[in-house]
Amino acid sequence: MRRFSTDAAHALAAEYVLGTLRGQARRRFEELAREDRDLAATVRRWEDALTPLAERVAPVAPPERVWRAIESRLGSREARAESPWRALGLISAGFATVLLAAFLWFSPAARDADPVFVAVLTAPDATPRMVVSMHAPDVLRVRTVKSWRGIEGKGLELWVLPKAGAPRSLGMVRNEGDTQLRIAMADVRMLDANALAVSLEPPGGSPTGAPTGPVLCSGAIAPVKKA
Amino acid sequence: MTLVADTQLAGLLARTALGDRRAFGDLYRATSAKLFAVSLRIVRERPLAEEVLQDSFVNIWNHASDYAQAKSAPMTWMGAIVRNRSLDVLRRTREEPDIDDRLAANLADEAASPMREAEARAEAHSLDECLKELDAEQRQTIALAFFHGLSHSELAEHLRRPLGTVKTHVRRGLLKLKDCLMRVAAPAAGR
Repeated sequence: MRRFSTDAAHALAAEYVLGTLRGQARRRFEELAREDRDLAATVRRWEDALTPLAERVAPVAPPERVWRAIESRLGSREARAESPWRALGLISAGFATVLLAAFLWFSPAARDADPVFVAVLTAPDATPRMVVSMHAPDVLRVRTVKSWRGIEGKGLELWVLPKAGAPRSLGMVRNEGDTQLRIAMADVRMLDANALAVSLEPPGGSPTGAPTGPVLCSGAIAPVKKA
Repeated sequence: MTLVADTQLAGLLARTALGDRRAFGDLYRATSAKLFAVSLRIVRERPLAEEVLQDSFVNIWNHASDYAQAKSAPMTWMGAIVRNRSLDVLRRTREEPDIDDRLAANLADEAASPMREAEARAEAHSLDECLKELDAEQRQTIALAFFHGLSHSELAEHLRRPLGTVKTHVRRGLLKLKDCLMRVAAPAAGR
């Protein structure tokens, strides 16, 4: 759907990014750019051209309360209000996660080799979705607890988050059942591994080498202590 | 103040996309003072700018995975989010423009002054070169709109110019900027 000539698209995108496109016109333009990829790309080119100007504004430190307010809104992706019921829900979900991990750990199928570490990956609503365990010498087992629906034609990519630096891909995992990846604890990607996460990607994996799709679940790596 | 390198910010954004709160906290500490200043210039009231910063960072947290596809510099991507949110808030609240004249007088210089932190960046350099090609009035009009979020009619009022003249300055200035940027960027495009 092309509504504008290239010149008109550029003129509108430029005034949108500059900020002089206002009110109803601004809103309509936003809607159009959401549907029209070319128009969105033109907007991005103007953002790339003009927005760096903003970096020369002298910094002003915001008060501490802004960060606290942001943090309080992170857990729930839409709900703003913190309610005691919600907190209770999170606690019980956390408890369920521990139980589930314990169950999967000690279930006979998982016992063939003691895991080096285990990570329970939970969705943003705190539901456990996957359990990942590392078994010596070189098996990373990914077990789907609850598969995703409506993701046909997409792939699930497993990422490791090191203590610092960008996420590293460990490979694609299956939506149903188990996936076993040949990865040794000494693998460079596991260096300083802190947490794991799964994102929704094109079938062959992220084309950029960094996660591009939404994160479906994530969880911290917990080393297993030998008794 | 040294600006954290783009690659470092991009790494923090990628980790934020995976739900890493510590990385998100680092990202906030590295960028919030700049972004707060950007919003403050536009909305001009601290409580409003705080609200914008809060909404913007919740937005960044929720949409960090989109960043990888944006292919922009991290500060550009985040700056655009903050600027858009600021302009949204503006249309809700502003009745009367209230411009500090001293600030406005400095604006043309501001847009023409050499960059400090981002000096090394090629695109910033070409932007500066291209801003210099605009005539002074075009540059001032565009700078006022950009930094202070002034609309056409606010620009006209502030610059004591007819509305049509101001619109022409903006339109022609942006067009000149585009032609110049395409010209300057062309040799680099073949990389």
